[in-house]
Amino acid sequence: MSGRLIDDAMWLAGLILIGTILCFLLTPIAVTVVMAFDSRAYLGPLPPPSLSLRWFQQFFSDDYFLRGLSTSLKLATLAVAISTAVGLATAFVVERAEFAGKQLLISLFLSPLLVPPVVTGFALLLFLSHLGLINGFARLLCGHIIITVPYTIRATLTGLGGIDRALTEAALSLGANEQAAFWDITLPLARTSIISGAIFAFAVSMDDVAVSIMLTDATTYTLPVALISSMRANFDLSIAAASVMLMLVTLGLIVALEKSVGLNKAIGQGVFRS
Amino acid sequence: MTAMQDPAEPVVVFRNVSKRFGSTAAVDAMSFTVAAGETLSLLGPSGCGKTTTLRLVAGFEQPDAGTIEIAGQAMTGRRPYERNVGLLFQHYALFPHMTVAENIGYGLKHRRWPKAEVGDRIAEMLRLVRLEGFDARKPNQLSGGQQQRVALARVLATKPKLVLLDEPLSALDAKLREELGLELKQILSTVGSTTIVVTHDQDEAMSLADRIIVMNRGRIEQLGTPGEIYAQPRTEFVASFIGRTNWFSGSGGTRLVNGVCRLMTDNGTALNVKTIDIPPAGGWRVCVRPERIAIMPPHTATTDPDVNVLTGEVVSIVNMGAQLHFVCRTSEGRITIIQPNRQGSHSKTGEAVSLQFGADDCVLLAPDAQ
Amino acid sequence: MTQARGSILLLLPSGGLFLGLFFLPMAGLFVESFRLYVPGNIGSSANAPFTIANYQELLTPSFAGFLFETLRISLLASLAGLLLSFPLAYWIVRKVSPRWRAIAVGLFVTLMFLSVLVRTYALELSFGAAGPFRPLLLSLGVSTNGRGYIETLVGAGLLHYIIPVATLTLLGTIQNVDPRLIDAAQALGAPGWRAHLGITLPLCMRGILAAFLFAFTFSISAFVIPMILGKGRVLFISNLIYNRFSEIADYPSGAAISIVLFFVALSIVYLTSAQVTKRWGA
Repeated sequence: MSGRLIDDAMWLAGLILIGTILCFLLTPIAVTVVMAFDSRAYLGPLPPPSLSLRWFQQFFSDDYFLRGLSTSLKLATLAVAISTAVGLATAFVVERAEFAGKQLLISLFLSPLLVPPVVTGFALLLFLSHLGLINGFARLLCGHIIITVPYTIRATLTGLGGIDRALTEAALSLGANEQAAFWDITLPLARTSIISGAIFAFAVSMDDVAVSIMLTDATTYTLPVALISSMRANFDLSIAAASVMLMLVTLGLIVALEKSVGLNKAIGQGVFRS
Repeated sequence: MTAMQDPAEPVVVFRNVSKRFGSTAAVDAMSFTVAAGETLSLLGPSGCGKTTTLRLVAGFEQPDAGTIEIAGQAMTGRRPYERNVGLLFQHYALFPHMTVAENIGYGLKHRRWPKAEVGDRIAEMLRLVRLEGFDARKPNQLSGGQQQRVALARVLATKPKLVLLDEPLSALDAKLREELGLELKQILSTVGSTTIVVTHDQDEAMSLADRIIVMNRGRIEQLGTPGEIYAQPRTEFVASFIGRTNWFSGSGGTRLVNGVCRLMTDNGTALNVKTIDIPPAGGWRVCVRPERIAIMPPHTATTDPDVNVLTGEVVSIVNMGAQLHFVCRTSEGRITIIQPNRQGSHSKTGEAVSLQFGADDCVLLAPDAQ
Repeated sequence: MTQARGSILLLLPSGGLFLGLFFLPMAGLFVESFRLYVPGNIGSSANAPFTIANYQELLTPSFAGFLFETLRISLLASLAGLLLSFPLAYWIVRKVSPRWRAIAVGLFVTLMFLSVLVRTYALELSFGAAGPFRPLLLSLGVSTNGRGYIETLVGAGLLHYIIPVATLTLLGTIQNVDPRLIDAAQALGAPGWRAHLGITLPLCMRGILAAFLFAFTFSISAFVIPMILGKGRVLFISNLIYNRFSEIADYPSGAAISIVLFFVALSIVYLTSAQVTKRWGA
């Protein structure tokens, strides 16, 4: 076959492929959104005969889910606040330092990303039990901190790395000492990376199941854990309503990311790099 | 503007300063002084240590040996913000998140300039660099030339004892370079500042500096005015690095009367060189600048016995607009001659010519150690 | 020097955090995996003797089967993910106007941020046993309760996360390849597809491998996706660990499996990184 024919054939195949992929990615989402408004009390075939908000009402009146939601929000906010502060301090020191084991130290700080979350949760459970820490919220907080810190460190490191060293030196030569240079120059210029790291960490915390499920107890649990138990026990459409709510949360985070940082910049700054 | 300094005292004193990185000496026992109000250039190829020297003066590096004094005070252990030295970075390093006014005011803020006077000083600086009305702009709204002027204003605002320029014109295109070079020189002399310019570009050095230090491998090859460096290079390196050169090599020679030596090149040509030095025993090099050689019609006689004559053939002519560059093939290899382009008739490619230059157009040098 | 002291002060909180919340717990897990478990207890008792029984137990065919299944499905999903993401990323970078590109990026970032629960629920709802596609699948002769279908569904669940992430990663990689290289190749006589095979692909290798590595480690560590979509019939290692923990309270065994999973993940990362560095430079 001539080269040109193959080119054209591949172009067509590519188009079909991309269409299929997009369908695959978006159809389940669309189905969920539609079914969340289904008026029937059972799981019936598409399309729903009429629409209603009954499942949303059920979700919002269910104490079980609401408690989970409140705990998730509290945990995420606290964990992200702590992780961002710790991440900033760590990244700042590491970025400036020049010594032989620097890469190794960075890998060490990012190592929790390599460990399967179930393992992290399990190890933490055993350790904290040994120490006698039985408060559910405290244990969950520990878990959420350790899974979010690598993301804030990585995002901040990338942001700091993108700042031209000459800018800091210019500040020093103009009379600012190291602290002043940090607050005047480094921090404002790294602001966008720090924020995108924090937003990403928030999403990770809100979404976590594996670590939370190991550290949860009867009275303290996160929303994802509640939803999973619900899914295994009773696969009904109140979870569809919950899913739509979670999609709105995700959209909210994306809008926050776009407004504060700009999506293209966030990607360029390696927040998502593995 | 008053002069910055008591004219008698040097502003910078380097005494045997050395700096090593690993096993290499970036700066090797350098000593020099910079007088008040003068512009000194550190000129050399990349890796010669000029940037390291600059950073030592600014305080971003500490010397391993030797002392550095600025305005009579020893600088050992002093951080950059504890010295009143202004540094103009190669790519300006303007703070992108601050306005022009905030950039210029940054040094004023941190060197504790009285708050009431800050605004006036910023305005004064903007007038000096001819950027009135630009105070609210951000760096990314400025052209390259404008950014450079803001960077200069920022540096001069705090009346530093010493101004350091790191390749100030390298980021600009050729036309702008000339224009801004002149402006830079004017502003610096108006302010009366003492300046050190670091550059690898000899045009930059020659046009900006009162004196030039040519550096190579961490050491001073030669210190002198632009004219001295060009016409009287003291080493092979300096002769090669600055401007264009024609080289002759050989060994041995005899002294004649009236300060002229008669040297025999390896190719058997006799050269008359005016010099007070004795030709080095192990071999010598002679440098002749291209604009010192005259192209004559072949067989042109000369009555002066000290004139050197070479016969050759024109191989190529390049018209550079203001100059004509000739390359001729001779018994001594290829010789380059540069003439002003007077738009008259001149020798053509392939023609035989006679190349003539005087004994005092030659500089006798020892070959550099390899 | 005060600068060094200040640095150490700043590192103390994170150092303490990592020590207390990660390194020490992992060490503890390692120790626990060597302790003897007496059925009926919760975890090992305080002075339980050391044994390698927990690990010996894992040498059985059934555990190897779980490990193999996890690795197999993960590998297939990762390969499929890369195969699909690369053309997608290429199309977005080269063939789409800047406005649509921004929309595509926004879409993929949103998909990436989407909760894993939403994803798995959505897939189960759409493609599961009670879903709207069931009649269509039955007519094609596919049973939604068949093992093959469930494995595929788990793979699809993994892909639903892998494709957005890999595409976003590859966007950067492909943008770094100068399109004029392909022009040059075509001017020299190579048809488009050969130019891409010989030029674009090799230049993107490092990004492709990084994306593959990420997809693979994500997949083998997956928990929710196999838990919901696997219906108890397809179990990944993470699920096995959770079962040991929640159903039997055999912590030492769970610990042993955890350590094995950890080392498998670590080995994959280092081996692949070493290969990448060897063949394509640091």
